[in-house]
Amino acid sequence: MAIIEVNQLTKVYGSGDTAVKALDGVNLTIDAGKLVAVMGPSGCGKSTLLHLIGGLDRPTSGTVLIEGRDISRMKDDELTTLRRQKMGFIFQFFNLIPVLTAEENTALPLILDGVKQQKAAGIVAEWLGKNKLADRTHHRPDELSGGQQQRVAIARAMVSDPVIILADEPTGNLDTRSSDEIASSLRQLVTDYGRTVLMVTHDPRIAAYADRIIFLKDGRIVDDNLMDSEDPENSRKLKEKVEAL
Amino acid sequence: MTVRHTLLGLLANQPRYGYELRAAFTALAGGRENWEVTPAQIYTTLNRMLRSGLIQADDAPSSSSERQFFSITPQGITELKQWLESGDHSNPVQDTFYLKMMVSRDLPFADPARLISVQRSGLYRELHRVTRQRGQLDPSSDLARILLLDKAIMHLEADLRWLDMIEGRLAEINRQPAPEPELRPRGRPPRNMNNN
Repeated sequence: MAIIEVNQLTKVYGSGDTAVKALDGVNLTIDAGKLVAVMGPSGCGKSTLLHLIGGLDRPTSGTVLIEGRDISRMKDDELTTLRRQKMGFIFQFFNLIPVLTAEENTALPLILDGVKQQKAAGIVAEWLGKNKLADRTHHRPDELSGGQQQRVAIARAMVSDPVIILADEPTGNLDTRSSDEIASSLRQLVTDYGRTVLMVTHDPRIAAYADRIIFLKDGRIVDDNLMDSEDPENSRKLKEKVEAL
Repeated sequence: MTVRHTLLGLLANQPRYGYELRAAFTALAGGRENWEVTPAQIYTTLNRMLRSGLIQADDAPSSSSERQFFSITPQGITELKQWLESGDHSNPVQDTFYLKMMVSRDLPFADPARLISVQRSGLYRELHRVTRQRGQLDPSSDLARILLLDKAIMHLEADLRWLDMIEGRLAEINRQPAPEPELRPRGRPPRNMNNN
């Protein structure tokens, strides 16, 4: 079942002589409950793809369907609500608010969505606990390590119960050990909590945690590989792909 | 040679029988999913070591036992010590993928870009397999195997980086001449009419 569907997605920045085609007619289907990595050299369009899927930017042409709904032509208000309810975001530089504690940062999406204080507190405690931050709830970002900050970011992404988590270079700012921890946590969001995770990464070690790796170059998909051919669904897809060649 | 010497290592402390040796080797080497060795390989190796005098076949402990036990000989111990103290020489310069790329230069039906893509996919699948295996191990009891997998991960990362390097310079490589074979003159010089 496709949770994300992208059709002829194109994004052009600028105009005339200086126009840059960041994405060039990309077609992509992502099934629910998978961890998918998007890789490629600098400037290949991977971050642009993530931003368009996350509704953080609008395409020049083409469509983005989230659970069958076309978000590319949605009104701003509707898109903002959908984004808040359906998606969680994790960024390379954590993007936590420096003056707020781990608890407060994590609670923010719920507060913005009008969830009552008491109910929010319960959900926040649950997700901070799952990310092994129960004893760090009152710490501010500058009192947390990089890995811990990213775990706060994961908790924050999960409190609104999203179906899709979008991660842009989630381990780009972390050492090897923390990177493995975060990649493991993202994997757990799929395996234990049944979410769909789409992550942009340049790190093969991290991409190795994914079920599927998509390679972009010059705004186009140049390769698309399933990691586990033993999964019967994967075998079917692999067979279709080989037959199409 | 690696299998042979590892078996000697396993026999150094106690006699063992064939099936037990195979199981012990597999466990030591990282598990069936990482190093598969057939019974035939084990028995062939044992027979060769018997003939070389590195091991000996023991008398059955009781007539009802069907298992053939083997034990190490003093010569076997010497051989084992020599192996342990010799450095390890894997050979990164002999690379199958490199040969595939070089061979494909002159073939009209071979597409080097596609070869790179296929190789990359294979490397990622292996990296995925090893990473997943590593994630299932417990550092408090499986640390040795975790380190083996860490080595595999590091080498795979390096292989992937090398692949990116090749991909980036493919056009430049193709513009350069292919390596010329060295052909030295062999045999008798050709007969000269004047010089019979």
